Amino acid sequence: MSELAQQPTTRTGVAAELMARFEPECLYQETVDGIATLWVSRNRLLDVMRYLKHEIDKPFPLLFDLSAIDERLREHRAGQPASDFTVFYHLISLERNEDVRIKVALADDDLSLPTLTSVWPAANWYEREVFDMFGIDVIGHPNLFRILTPPLWEGHPLRKEHPARATEMDPYEMSPEIKHEQQEALRFVPEQWGMSTEAKHTDFMFLNLGPNHPSVHGVFRIALQLDGEVLVDAVPDIGYHHRGAEKMAERQSWHTFIPYTDRIDYLGGVMNNMPYVMAVEKMAGIEVPDRAKVIRIMLAEMFRISSHLLFFGTFAQDVGQMSPVLYMFADRERLFSNIEAITGGRMHPMWFRIGGVAQDLPDGWDTMLRDWLDYMPKRLDEYDSVSMNNSILKQRTVGIGPYNTQEGLEWGVTGPNLRATGSDWDLRKKRPYGGYDQFDFEIPVAANGDCYDRCWVRVQEIRQSLRIIRQCLDNMPSGPYKAIHPQTTPPLRERTMEDIETLIQHFLNVSWGPVIPSSECSVNIEATKGWNSYYLISDGGTGSYRTRIRTPSFPHLQMIPLISRGFMIADLIAIIASIDFVMADVDR
Amino acid sequence: MQWRLIKTEPGALMEDVDAAYDEDLAKSVLVGNLQDLVAWGRAHSLWPFNFGLSCCYVEFATAITPRHDIARFGSEVMRASPRQADLLIVTGTVFRKMGPVVQHLYEQLLAPRWVISMGSCSNSGGMYDIYSVVQGVDKFLPVDVYVPGCPPRPEALLQGLILLQEAIAKDRRPLGRVIADDRHQLSNTPNQRDLRTPERMQATTLAEPNSVGDAPLSADLLSSEPRRTEKK
Repeated sequence: MSELAQQPTTRTGVAAELMARFEPECLYQETVDGIATLWVSRNRLLDVMRYLKHEIDKPFPLLFDLSAIDERLREHRAGQPASDFTVFYHLISLERNEDVRIKVALADDDLSLPTLTSVWPAANWYEREVFDMFGIDVIGHPNLFRILTPPLWEGHPLRKEHPARATEMDPYEMSPEIKHEQQEALRFVPEQWGMSTEAKHTDFMFLNLGPNHPSVHGVFRIALQLDGEVLVDAVPDIGYHHRGAEKMAERQSWHTFIPYTDRIDYLGGVMNNMPYVMAVEKMAGIEVPDRAKVIRIMLAEMFRISSHLLFFGTFAQDVGQMSPVLYMFADRERLFSNIEAITGGRMHPMWFRIGGVAQDLPDGWDTMLRDWLDYMPKRLDEYDSVSMNNSILKQRTVGIGPYNTQEGLEWGVTGPNLRATGSDWDLRKKRPYGGYDQFDFEIPVAANGDCYDRCWVRVQEIRQSLRIIRQCLDNMPSGPYKAIHPQTTPPLRERTMEDIETLIQHFLNVSWGPVIPSSECSVNIEATKGWNSYYLISDGGTGSYRTRIRTPSFPHLQMIPLISRGFMIADLIAIIASIDFVMADVDR
Repeated sequence: MQWRLIKTEPGALMEDVDAAYDEDLAKSVLVGNLQDLVAWGRAHSLWPFNFGLSCCYVEFATAITPRHDIARFGSEVMRASPRQADLLIVTGTVFRKMGPVVQHLYEQLLAPRWVISMGSCSNSGGMYDIYSVVQGVDKFLPVDVYVPGCPPRPEALLQGLILLQEAIAKDRRPLGRVIADDRHQLSNTPNQRDLRTPERMQATTLAEPNSVGDAPLSADLLSSEPRRTEKK
């Protein structure tokens, strides 16, 4: 797979600049995705990061992802420095339209490295996750507590020796004592977070919102420090929805992990399949036929609309409008009729496959879809007059919870939440993937970055998605819906019934799983809520060695305290609604 | 009500008078025991707790909205506080970190209270046999009805609700306060798969996989049209 970089002169872009400055403490690694991947020593990590963020020409303001890899059982590591645990940092520069991945090797007996919270505030939660999942000590971190697992958890789940299955562990018990102990461990202690309980003229009140509250959109908990009704500070507490998807990926085959991706952003349906299957296809070298590409885009945009409609309805509901959510759910049902006719499923169709999609489009899909496309714009006009132009909704949301583009990037904000601040960064335009370059659509951009604008951007995106779907409908290419390639899983049915080789391919890929060459690859897409990327590492087996799922909602939640300080509790509800997250997309 | 005039001459047949009296009585007075009446009332006024864990909650919310309309079954009174609710629908994955919270909320529900386990995760852990997930909410809560699916369609949840209502209507609990285990569980919720398999085995025509079936067009689904205001 990879070779040590002996001639740094052959490198271009950020890799060349880093090599020139930090050689020989900097090693280049080849990856399938073409992202400049460099190993740096732990001692120089902060220097490299500060250089990339502040000093380099056209810097990297966005800490896109940060996680680790347990390398102890990995066999194919040719060209990489010895490492038991590798911590990786994925940075993105919008100005350059370039990524860089920095890796730090750690030995099993010395699992520690310095914190990056002084460089990127967004590093805070990511580093807590690295500590929680791998037991890596992050020196200098302000509050290095567990983040996803319960506070009394033992062990670090993403280490290879930790059991994956619940059925391999002791049976779950819930006695009154255990319940009491666990509830006590979850108790919010202000001092633990460096909060004072009183100020000069006031005693602060601490209010626990969640983990079960109708307006926190799932099992999310946020502890509020209040002066009267004004928010002084807040501490979000997550992990109540941690389903261990990354550990699950290490145990499923490449093929049988697809259903789990549907449930990451559970409002995004097949949108979640896309980055995953695209990353696997890149590693396997599969070229997807045009028809499959267009079908994928069409379905993904349908789910973008479904997700945005649900967001729009609940957003209006959270600021006091009771009716729109009912109308929008009815429209969502009309959309689901189409999705169901095509895929057979509703929320989780798990319909994309390695190399294409599960089935060809059914007879009559176009009539049905065209009918819905004709119907929808009128409804959107109505929602504009009912909700977006409603003066109460405006009073509740305009100027509430604002941030600018620079703050957004600093905290890892992507997607519609970033475009609400005036940035036009949409991966479908800036880095067209999966065939988006063939479509004619616009990127709605707002300016103020407040609750109203975050909603406005999504409402406009619904119209643009309708445009894309209509183009798919009018220009659906003919041809196969799956690639003809040995790793396509399962292969085209017509061929399976025809020749024994394809039948064997079907049998092996479905029962054992397709064998993907040892490599590393990440694919990043514009999902419903922001940038969603899958960073897959294959050790040449039928399943993934390590799957890192970077979801947009995780950093978005981390930012809540910053944008809600000084506002009232009722404003916090509007802010939470405007962020548009689902907890499965946060905790995975 | 019908009114009749009857001549009360001496020697007239008294049966006519009695028949009219009985008929009126049957229409205006309900004779039964109090337990039956309470069970009937409980069955048709289930107040669900507004509680969601994961994906299934979205399908539960869909069951409330126009096309499915849970109000048809008397259960649209969603309560945000467990103290005002008597039905806990466990919608989604029961996480280990969430377990004590679910237990706590259940204890806060008013008795008599019922539990519907919605979806594979809540039924058995489903596809998530993973370290952070409890393998079924019945590991610590008494479940009355299990609704299968990942997630179940709203229709499936409504069917679960109807089965629960039928079971509650037949259930008899002591009316006064007694010292007994409060984890009273309904016994008459039989496995629907066993009941329906023979009927399902009779099916001979199945939907073609390459057709859209008889799915309705958007324009035909006018049941929930918002009231149109006149355009200026």
